[in-house]
Amino acid sequence: MAGSTDKTVHDIFQSMEYGPAATSSAVTAQAWLDHHSRSLGLFIDGKFVRPADRQSRSLADSKGGNVCSTVCAAQDDVSQCASSAVKGHKAWGDLSCYQRAKVLLRSASVLGQHDLCVSELCELCEASCSPSSLVRLLQYYSSWAQLRDTLVANWTPLGVVAVIASDDCSLYSLMLKVLPALAMGNSVIVVPGRTSAPPALLLAQLLMGAGLPAGALNVLTGSDMSLGASVAQNASISSVTYSGNKQDGVSLCKATAGMGVPVSVSPNIGARCPFIIFESADIDSAVDAVLEAAFKKRREVHWVLCVQESVLDSVVARLRHRMAGMKCVALHSDGDRGLVDSAVQGAQQQGATLVQSCAAPPSGAQYPPTVLCGAAPSSPFVVNPPPGPLLPLMTFRSNTEAVALGNHSPHGQAASIWTEDLTLALEAAKSLSVGSVWVNSHSVSDPCLPVSGHKDSGTCTDGGQEGLYQFLRPSSSSCPPLPRSSPVFMDYSKFGTAASPAIIPDDSDPASAPKVYLQFVGGKPCKSVSGCSVAVQSPGGGSVLAYCPDGGRKDVRNAVEAAVKVQPGWMKKSPSARAQSLYALAKGLEAKRRDLAASINAQTGLSMDEADEEVELSIARLSDWAAYCDKVQGGTPPLPQCGSALSLPEALGVVGIVLPDNTPLLSMVTLLGAAVGNGNAVVMVPGQKYPLPALAFIQVLQSSDLPAGLVNIITGSRDQLTVALATHSVIKAIWYWGSAEGCQYLQYSCTSPLKTLRLSCQKEDGGKDWAQSHPALLEETWRSGVQWKSVWIPTA
Amino acid sequence: MSARNPGTKLDLERISKVRVNTQAVLKRAQHIQGQKMPKNQWQAAWLLKAVACIDLTTLAGDDTPSNVHRLCLKAIQPVRCDLLRAVDMHDKGVTTAAVCVYPSRVADAVKSLKAANSSLPVASVATGFPAGQTPLETRLQEVRLAVADGATEIDIVINRTLALSGQWEAMYDEIRQFRQACGDSHMKTILAIGELGTFTNVYKASLVAMMAGSDFIKTSTGKESVNATYPVAIVMVRAIRDYFLCTGHKVGFKPAGGIRTAQESLVWLALIKEELGNDWLCPVLFRLGASSLLADIERQIYHHVTGQYAAYHELPMA
Repeated sequence: MAGSTDKTVHDIFQSMEYGPAATSSAVTAQAWLDHHSRSLGLFIDGKFVRPADRQSRSLADSKGGNVCSTVCAAQDDVSQCASSAVKGHKAWGDLSCYQRAKVLLRSASVLGQHDLCVSELCELCEASCSPSSLVRLLQYYSSWAQLRDTLVANWTPLGVVAVIASDDCSLYSLMLKVLPALAMGNSVIVVPGRTSAPPALLLAQLLMGAGLPAGALNVLTGSDMSLGASVAQNASISSVTYSGNKQDGVSLCKATAGMGVPVSVSPNIGARCPFIIFESADIDSAVDAVLEAAFKKRREVHWVLCVQESVLDSVVARLRHRMAGMKCVALHSDGDRGLVDSAVQGAQQQGATLVQSCAAPPSGAQYPPTVLCGAAPSSPFVVNPPPGPLLPLMTFRSNTEAVALGNHSPHGQAASIWTEDLTLALEAAKSLSVGSVWVNSHSVSDPCLPVSGHKDSGTCTDGGQEGLYQFLRPSSSSCPPLPRSSPVFMDYSKFGTAASPAIIPDDSDPASAPKVYLQFVGGKPCKSVSGCSVAVQSPGGGSVLAYCPDGGRKDVRNAVEAAVKVQPGWMKKSPSARAQSLYALAKGLEAKRRDLAASINAQTGLSMDEADEEVELSIARLSDWAAYCDKVQGGTPPLPQCGSALSLPEALGVVGIVLPDNTPLLSMVTLLGAAVGNGNAVVMVPGQKYPLPALAFIQVLQSSDLPAGLVNIITGSRDQLTVALATHSVIKAIWYWGSAEGCQYLQYSCTSPLKTLRLSCQKEDGGKDWAQSHPALLEETWRSGVQWKSVWIPTA
Repeated sequence: MSARNPGTKLDLERISKVRVNTQAVLKRAQHIQGQKMPKNQWQAAWLLKAVACIDLTTLAGDDTPSNVHRLCLKAIQPVRCDLLRAVDMHDKGVTTAAVCVYPSRVADAVKSLKAANSSLPVASVATGFPAGQTPLETRLQEVRLAVADGATEIDIVINRTLALSGQWEAMYDEIRQFRQACGDSHMKTILAIGELGTFTNVYKASLVAMMAGSDFIKTSTGKESVNATYPVAIVMVRAIRDYFLCTGHKVGFKPAGGIRTAQESLVWLALIKEELGNDWLCPVLFRLGASSLLADIERQIYHHVTGQYAAYHELPMA
């Protein structure tokens, strides 16, 4: 305390400083930690357990003092935990919706009772999270628990869900996954990161105290991401979902590839987000928000300030005025200081000017808030944002340029836009490719809004009703599309490189020569770029029925290029216009029904009647999708805060589809219609066994009014084309029917940028029955073609 | 002490560009109110700073020379001497910033202060206070008379009719004339924000008042239904900052009306410190218009020194 108490009243009267920040004593949290002897066990089966002979991991506070240590769970603990979770799922799932809702609601009041302990513990562990936001989560999801069977009928919980977080993930993001999973009747195994571990353990204890059955919520702590993978490996886990930084998310995806468990990722830490100030903004309030957002000690995202040229001077003048006297921000380590110093030096060498609250101290793990004026998208500190309180500032000329600048980033997490012009705000909000748009505000969140990270910022939707579906499956689907398996050893670089057998001229009878088909790229039937073909066998095998193009990387490239040109325009069309196009497509199919039936008959060996029925079902399915187009349309969810919010469904972009073999026409139009109806473009790879009906469908596409390039069909070796789809960064999602190896390959390789994967391991006996039309099955397919954006417009 | 604000030409284009986002301002106000306030000796020092910025005010129909006299002597010795000595501030000249009275009482106040050998300024409200609904000529005359009686600070009220109907030029001209009538006396312009409708109007009126040469802009008369609120203050001090960044002239800010507790005075100081910086934390650029506030601050200082909560009768009344 020396140096602070010797300040006399007169000194302070002159300097008018605030005085030392009141350090919270955290008495309650310390007492809770002491009660656990400062060493927290695992939370399994409703109680803390401390298995002997485990390594431990210690957690220090910001000043380096010991907070507590956590156990590093071993394999035995994982299996014990998993079997407890299976029992927990049974007990929890057997309760009625009302009973589950009651437990969650009671948890909210238990949390309210112990909010001091929770907030102190969060502060100690630097996993800051306000108890009131947790209470809001509990209340929101308790109402969903109550209404599950009413509002999401025909869906059942998955079973045991593993929620995995990285070390820097906030407690709020973690609970945004845990609570909806619980509310839907799953049991949950939480694998928190280092900082969120103690609060997560405390919350588990509190929820248990509110009446959660033992095993419904377990917490396993470990030393790094490898624990997440070994939890995922356990056969009783039905689904894995991850929240945290991108890097750990990628290593989790790679480690779990081939386990036959779906992994969804919300990399909400470390994304680059634009903060756009238009000339029509309340500049003072905008600058105020910049300071609040950009110079926090714990920043989850890297903001980039984009200012309209005409108001640059006034923004910079206000920044300079407001930043004067701001204190240095603590960095995580001395190493970070080195990174900050070199970034600032590099920036200055490129002519950037600094707006700094004070001169940087010569050394030490702290740095003053700094704005780097004169940044450009190519500046190294924009491309690879260093840690610390640095804020790049770029300028733009027009509204369109602002959006272009905001979108030109691999991330699509969030954006803050400032303008008093409502039309401009809504236009910008719609054009920005991000999950959350905050108009005249920043960093606000509420569980009632569905948000999907766009581009590299996520593969699933969290929040709102839409966020519940990652923890549900249609009641009518008998088995999971991806059966549990063990990863096989494979050389990922060799996958899909086997050459197709060459076709050589033979001297068969020209009359019965196999027909030669063309594929469909950019609205034109064409040969493959390589010029090679593959042979298609007749149903019984033995004879060559036809030749179709042997497509590869270049064909996929051409198709994606064509798709990207037309997809934005297609997405902008009104849903009813898209519906009319799909109706027209159905009609076109009806006109060619005899051709298609004949093609199915020749390809699959089904009788003409059966083939005819498949065509009939396909026509009906396309009409289903046409009708769906203007039905799922987001809305304006009610918020606890004052203002309005919009939740908008958006197309993913370009979707790659590797089609199943069975019922080739019906499965294709089912997936095609769901993707295109939502505003996506598709690159489809027909099943290798029965590609001909899809190629026969090209004539229907050609006579339709779908823009050329929206639907592309490429034939050839499935593995080779899967690799081509996986290695094209523009493709945002891949829907795959194929081998277990292919699934493993995709899970392993679609991580940079992240792709949303919908994987099905194709079985010999046919697998999914495409003729089924349960509402939940259709809904599930439809939803996989959508991502969600939320727009906040707070008002007074 | 910096030079007085000479005013500028009326820049209507800049005024038309003013934009204020109400919810963002409200959020900012909430944030400032939610901040942790200084404790211990920091609190004592801040409270004394608040005292030094008070315009100790009496504006009542029943004001007479006797209660004005009491007020003046309290202004000279606002905090009990033994309490000041305990924090070693007894010899630092802690007084309030000024006393503020009606024009007819200016002579009484000047006399009392002179008799007490104090150079404390006397401020007078003028120009048809509080409504401003009297002819311009009488309002100007009122200013001149108050100045002649010895008021060195004049609190004028703007003509709300002009502000509400957007006649910024007419309002500018009126304030210009008041400024001339004030002569060397400093002019504080009361915007009566409770009657201006929107934050945008408050911002615009603030800019016009400063362009016309106000030394201070002041929130309200204390006689409207809505007085000094934090959100409206944020809008006004941002206008002050805007004017400073454009012209380099520092204009003062005076919230008045409804400020009663020591806690509130701390929030006001924090608000100024956050939005404008330490430069504004002095009587030259910041005033608190208040009457009962001083008693509460004195009690808090008593508590800081003795650890006890004082009864009101333990501290000298004003």
